[in-house]
Amino acid sequence: MSAIEHLSGPDDLEDDEREAVETLLYRLADDEFVIAERYTEWQVRSPTLESDLALSNIAQDELGHARLWYDLLEDFGYTEAELLWERDPEDFRHSTMVELPFETGDWADAIVRSYLYDEAEALRLEALEDSSYPRIVDRVGKVLGEETYHREHATNWLERLAGTDDGREQVQNAVDRVFPHALTLFEPVDPDVERQIDEYGIRTRSLDELATDWLDRVVPFLESQGIETPVSNSSEVTTADLPDVRGRDGTHTDEWFDLYDEFTHTYRELGRDRADRIMSDPDDA
Amino acid sequence: MIWEVFRQEKSGGYHTHCGNVHAPDAQMAKLFAEVQHGRRKPTNSLWVVPQQEVAEVDAEEANFGGTTDKSYRWAMTYNRVDESFAEEVADSQREQETADRERDEVTAGGNR
Repeated sequence: MSAIEHLSGPDDLEDDEREAVETLLYRLADDEFVIAERYTEWQVRSPTLESDLALSNIAQDELGHARLWYDLLEDFGYTEAELLWERDPEDFRHSTMVELPFETGDWADAIVRSYLYDEAEALRLEALEDSSYPRIVDRVGKVLGEETYHREHATNWLERLAGTDDGREQVQNAVDRVFPHALTLFEPVDPDVERQIDEYGIRTRSLDELATDWLDRVVPFLESQGIETPVSNSSEVTTADLPDVRGRDGTHTDEWFDLYDEFTHTYRELGRDRADRIMSDPDDA
Repeated sequence: MIWEVFRQEKSGGYHTHCGNVHAPDAQMAKLFAEVQHGRRKPTNSLWVVPQQEVAEVDAEEANFGGTTDKSYRWAMTYNRVDESFAEEVADSQREQETADRERDEVTAGGNR
């Protein structure tokens, strides 16, 4: 890619530059926030104390990452309440994979999802390391530093689950259910805006390229574990493989609206109109 | 399977026992130990050791320190020493250093 001109700070962006930056940030922040919400459901329910702590730790990491990205949206004047607690659930732009509920006790699903998610996460973060938006570049390293553990955790578990007939069957079932939704990780919020994101160099790999990179990684690995992936083409996302709801475009599963009601419940019940901050701003930390 | 976990705070320090984790193998034990024992306190390195590989000898089997009076081993005598003698040691040390320096000067002069 040719040399990219750096974008200005948040206050000096042109309207369409700002829209591109915001869109990218919503993709990142919403994914991280919602997957952390779902992981948290495993607390005190994981197969062992150790796996409970490991997944809770990963959930905490993802919440921390969400905070870093939402904080960059706050640069544009949004408050935490507007970004989360009072935001219309239809305006969330996460992939449907992260909102799907877990079946009770389906640990293989938690592992499969975290594997598919964290492989995609690593790729998209690498595509931000040389972003033209300096505020993003500042934070990518921090986030990437915690992703290695997530991938090791998921990969180690997958290899062990796939090592027995029973476990492999559970993994296969989870892959069959979750994989189509994982493809939505690479779906556009709005195709024109996504193109802008690439043209401005805010992201240095396009969604299609990222999808190909990801498929090149996860399909052979899953195959090496005796797991088949439900894709008609193993190097690009085909519309036929996608689910009806894709998250990114504002369409969601019904379960998302239940989850939204759940995590905003206390805020509404207490009649809050803003969120208190107990941690210092990431810029000051 | 239980793995005992030892944490080292700083490079060069001792690995100190800090707890254990359940894990099927060393790789998973490391992964779990990292979160359970390396996350909240300063950590430079962790060891995970299969519990059954830890050999133990305890006070029921062994007479640690023997059975006769060996209080001389504790070296408590030095706690009751009059420390003013240290000044003499320092004086003597200084005297020797001065002599040493003078000797050097004389030798250097002789070579000239």
